[in-house]
Amino acid sequence: MRATTISDLARPSLAKGVRLQIDSATGKSVLLYPEGIVELNETAHEILSRCDGRTLGEIVYELAEEYEADSNALAADVRDTLSDLQRRKLVKLT
Amino acid sequence: MRVPRPYALLAEITYQCPLHCPYCSNPVTVKSAVPSGEHIGPTALRAAHTTAGNGELTTEEWQRVIREAAALGVLQIGFSGGEPLARRDLVELIRAAREAKLYTNLITSGIGVDHDRVRMLRDAGLDSIQLSFQSDRSSLADEIAGVRAHDRKLDVAAKIRAAGIPLSLNFVIHRRNIDRLPQMIDLTEALGAERVELANVQFYGWAFRNRAALLPTREQVDRARDVATTAKARLAGKIAIFYVFPDYYEARPKPCLNGWGQRYLTVNPIGDVLPCPTASSAIPDLRFENVRESALDWIWQESESFNRFRGTEWMPEPCRSCPQREIDFGGCRCQAALLTGTAANTDPVCEFSPNRAVVDAVLHDINSSSEHMREWTYRTNPSASPISV
Repeated sequence: MRATTISDLARPSLAKGVRLQIDSATGKSVLLYPEGIVELNETAHEILSRCDGRTLGEIVYELAEEYEADSNALAADVRDTLSDLQRRKLVKLT
Repeated sequence: MRVPRPYALLAEITYQCPLHCPYCSNPVTVKSAVPSGEHIGPTALRAAHTTAGNGELTTEEWQRVIREAAALGVLQIGFSGGEPLARRDLVELIRAAREAKLYTNLITSGIGVDHDRVRMLRDAGLDSIQLSFQSDRSSLADEIAGVRAHDRKLDVAAKIRAAGIPLSLNFVIHRRNIDRLPQMIDLTEALGAERVELANVQFYGWAFRNRAALLPTREQVDRARDVATTAKARLAGKIAIFYVFPDYYEARPKPCLNGWGQRYLTVNPIGDVLPCPTASSAIPDLRFENVRESALDWIWQESESFNRFRGTEWMPEPCRSCPQREIDFGGCRCQAALLTGTAANTDPVCEFSPNRAVVDAVLHDINSSSEHMREWTYRTNPSASPISV
């Protein structure tokens, strides 16, 4: 499965020209990019608001602590979300 | 009917442009707000508010429009025209848009920008630039633009890259340049752009007038589609390619604007608020409101022009009972008006339209003629305030 190919050491960040913002009309998180808007679900919001140089492993660890969730299941969710956003050129992994 | 919130504002801040592209979607004749002596009432009132002398909204008026748009729910603004760089206050307007937390996009020919101004645009918070090109090399590109511009654009693209601003290239595709699609994609790669729009010309404004010279042949269209599909696969994850197919060759209409008054609004240089940028010229019997006279939220929610084709209630047959009606919204109102004389008609591109023969006749003319190069009329600037080229 493609999603599992993202390493724990990868550092996700927003792709160039992409902005994360709260939509004041709905209170929800959105990604803004040229000619496009994506409304984020809570998982995606929690992940992307931590994409500031932290590694994928660190992000998973933090989220598992905060939500008292199983870190294996969480790691799979995080990888799915990031690989989907990467495919849409909204996130890059370095 | 519940009125949705708008997501994007197209701010056409001036109709002045140093280029003369024969496919420009701007109106062929521009309604001027300068009083001629015969006008009284609202038109004279508009002129009294302006300092520009040509009826264009002032800096303060645009700043107010931007704030009102953000309050209404708008998240994105595109500064366009004409050539938006022709406005000296562009940096101030971009700053106002960023203060209102809008994603800020500049849609430009690039003519009128030097290294310092690119950096000022970036420092004001500009998020992205869409730079137009007419072709991949100067001989053809300059012939299309009607002015020597191509080499300057190459230079501007390099300056945008150097300033670190995300760059999209926009190509309008038509009969005279469609065969250069592979080279246009090569140019996009060479200039390091993140994104490219290869949009077949849509027939409004000057493009409608020049349609016989601009519409590609079926053979060209088929070839170009293959080129675009192959390039998309090759450059996936590297460059985002958006290829817009020429709708005359489709059997179903485009979902224009994602529905009238659903997501988008345009404010033109004199402050008229339009559901679509081409509506004021294509649909002459619709009266549009102006930001000098009414609040933007009233115009969006309540005005006759925004409600006329909102939802599906207005639809005649065959749209009314069509299962596609919430998918393509009956196509484009402007196209229906231009090709059938009635904006409420089904877009005649649709195979179920009783007027499809109008489109087929145009296609027949193009595809049965051996005359490949037809003359076009270059766009001229509105005469109210000539600028030097």
